[in-house]
Amino acid sequence: MKPLRQYLFAILLPLLLGVSMAQAADLSIKLEPDQSNPVTPTMGDAMHFHSRIHNDSAHPVEGLVAWISLVEVTPGREQPMDLEDWSAHKAVAGATLAPGAALTTDWPMRLIQSGDYRVVISATDRNEQTVYTSPTLQFHVARKPIIESSRILPVAFGLPLLIGGVMTYRGWRQRRCT
Amino acid sequence: MSATTQIARKERWALLQDQRGLGWLLAFSAVLSAFALLLISNQELSLLDNAQVVYMLAGTVTTAGAVIAVILGADAFAGERERGTLVPLLIAPIRTSELVNGKALGLVSAWGLMYLLSLPYLWAVGAGGQNLVQAILYLVLFGTPVVLGFGYLAMALSVRSGSVLTSLLTSLIVLLFTASPLLLGPGLRNSTIGRALDAVNPFSGALNTYDAVIIDSDPFLAQLPRLTLVLAWLAVTFLAARTTAHRPRFH
Amino acid sequence: MLVDANHLKLTLNGRAILQDVSVHIERGEIYGLLGPNGAGKSTTIAVLLGLYAPDAGDLRLFDQARGHPVELRGRIGVMPERAGFYEWMSASDYLAWYAGFYGGLQQPAADLLRLVGLGDSGKRPVGQFSRGMQQRLALARALVDGPELLILDEPTNGLDPRGRREIHDLLLRLAGERNVGILLCTHLLDDVERLCSRIGIIDGGRTRLEASLQELASAHAAGRRFRLRLERPPADPSSLPSGLTLTSESQGWWQCLVAPDNTAPLPTLWEDLLVGHGWEIAEIHAEGGGLEALYLQLTASSKNEVKEETT
Repeated sequence: MKPLRQYLFAILLPLLLGVSMAQAADLSIKLEPDQSNPVTPTMGDAMHFHSRIHNDSAHPVEGLVAWISLVEVTPGREQPMDLEDWSAHKAVAGATLAPGAALTTDWPMRLIQSGDYRVVISATDRNEQTVYTSPTLQFHVARKPIIESSRILPVAFGLPLLIGGVMTYRGWRQRRCT
Repeated sequence: MSATTQIARKERWALLQDQRGLGWLLAFSAVLSAFALLLISNQELSLLDNAQVVYMLAGTVTTAGAVIAVILGADAFAGERERGTLVPLLIAPIRTSELVNGKALGLVSAWGLMYLLSLPYLWAVGAGGQNLVQAILYLVLFGTPVVLGFGYLAMALSVRSGSVLTSLLTSLIVLLFTASPLLLGPGLRNSTIGRALDAVNPFSGALNTYDAVIIDSDPFLAQLPRLTLVLAWLAVTFLAARTTAHRPRFH
Repeated sequence: MLVDANHLKLTLNGRAILQDVSVHIERGEIYGLLGPNGAGKSTTIAVLLGLYAPDAGDLRLFDQARGHPVELRGRIGVMPERAGFYEWMSASDYLAWYAGFYGGLQQPAADLLRLVGLGDSGKRPVGQFSRGMQQRLALARALVDGPELLILDEPTNGLDPRGRREIHDLLLRLAGERNVGILLCTHLLDDVERLCSRIGIIDGGRTRLEASLQELASAHAAGRRFRLRLERPPADPSSLPSGLTLTSESQGWWQCLVAPDNTAPLPTLWEDLLVGHGWEIAEIHAEGGGLEALYLQLTASSKNEVKEETT
């Protein structure tokens, strides 16, 4: 009987795996950086990423949701990033993909903070519980100090001093008139 | 020269000649200077994105402007009455509408001065970055109705209550109420109630516009609903000031 | 007639402030409006200025039944009880600015200030003025448009005797030379007797009495005595206008008796004494009876009447 059990297992296992592999292979996602992205991105620069979500299955994908995620991987500062200020375009939703159809999406992003980052596109649909992800893209954002004290200090001290000086002069003139 | 112009002239004069008026300008300047110095002294803040900083400064200018407009508006009638300078205006050949219009123009001058005072700060933190010009323009377009609206609200309360303290406290509470959703953060503001409040809150309207234009570079047309909101706020509060400015009791 | 107000009624916030007030002022006349606090004097002034519309009664100003209140106020100068200036403005700047509501100064600010005794204070901020100086400036403000009607509420508050006299002389000149009608609200009966030719006494929102001082003097003439303080003794104490008798002099005070059959108004009598007979009068006080007694008698019922609203 042992050989029969082994024989049955050998036939059934690929079938079982084939089903999950067939389910796991419904969507495929590609992610590419835009050609015009800066080679050495710096804080304040804008970048674009393009994703292509393809329905590899034989049945339509309904209620597709795809979203962009950003993770900082700077050593010591690893954390998921809130895209609030990075991008106004964080997701697409509700699309239906026919078998063999593809959804192309542009993902603009402003580089708010310096550090090392990875970006990835994730997708799922209404019927499946699987989340599909694209390959990640990693990039480094160089630091750029924005605030120049040589501009700020004269203004920050100068204007209040100017107004205070005018007040003092007026007060002195009034006392002199007494 | 019309009575409106005479009164507006006095209001403008008071801002620049009276120690009290200069004191408010000094306070405004001090707030902006404190913000600017904080940017330099704090390492994290000094690495903030340029657009982010300009957005924060525009919000600070609008907030500080609204606070000072509330103070000046609360003083407009009740303060003059308490100091005894309202009666000479009431007994002069001045129409009520001219009195209110003159005071309203005075508030415009005050905001104008505050706006001009904020330009060097905007330049200092935002030069060389993105959307500085847009920030300067949108501060006029959205900041003006919001700031003046709070001033006119305080003015209406000043006439109605006859007390600087009452009108000031009430106006500041309204200001805090409109500013409070901004402290809740994006998560809570995305609830149904949060979105509903945002839709009618002129303060949110202005700050969300700064965010959209300065940081996200959104176009002007996308700001039209919020522009309508802030202009409606200005119109309603100005009308409130006009209609409540019946003659105070004379003695 | 400059002011022809008859049986004015006014209710404010459900309270009857004026119930039956009548005021009549001719050009060139100084009219004293008297009454206790809360009687309705200020509200009457407010009605005359068009700040309140009376509920009943009729009111004619400058011989017009109807006139726009704002335009009418352009012909009236008012000196309120509380001066109320912007302390950071100089006196000249303030007058020039305030005159802008009336179409501009009728005369240079310096002349106006000189008229009220502030000739050398034009450049000083009003915040540095004493109370008396602010009173003078308030009078200058009331005169800024060369008014036809002047309404003064306690104009000599805060002034020393010399200052009071200067203001009195100014008011007499305005009434006599420029034909300005003056409504004088004051509690100082001596001022009234010196300046006014007619008075009205209001109490509880009603006019209790309106008459000329001459009529009052005739009606209550018996025993009207005055004591005068002079700048210096007269050259000839016996030189007096007819109708006035000197009874005694003691410690710088000269006691006089007005004859019961005197027909000249009291202000005319004093002016004649001053100008015609060279008596340099510094103060005049009425003694016993007279206006004070009448005033007290007519306002004795003020306790139970409706009080005027205060701000």
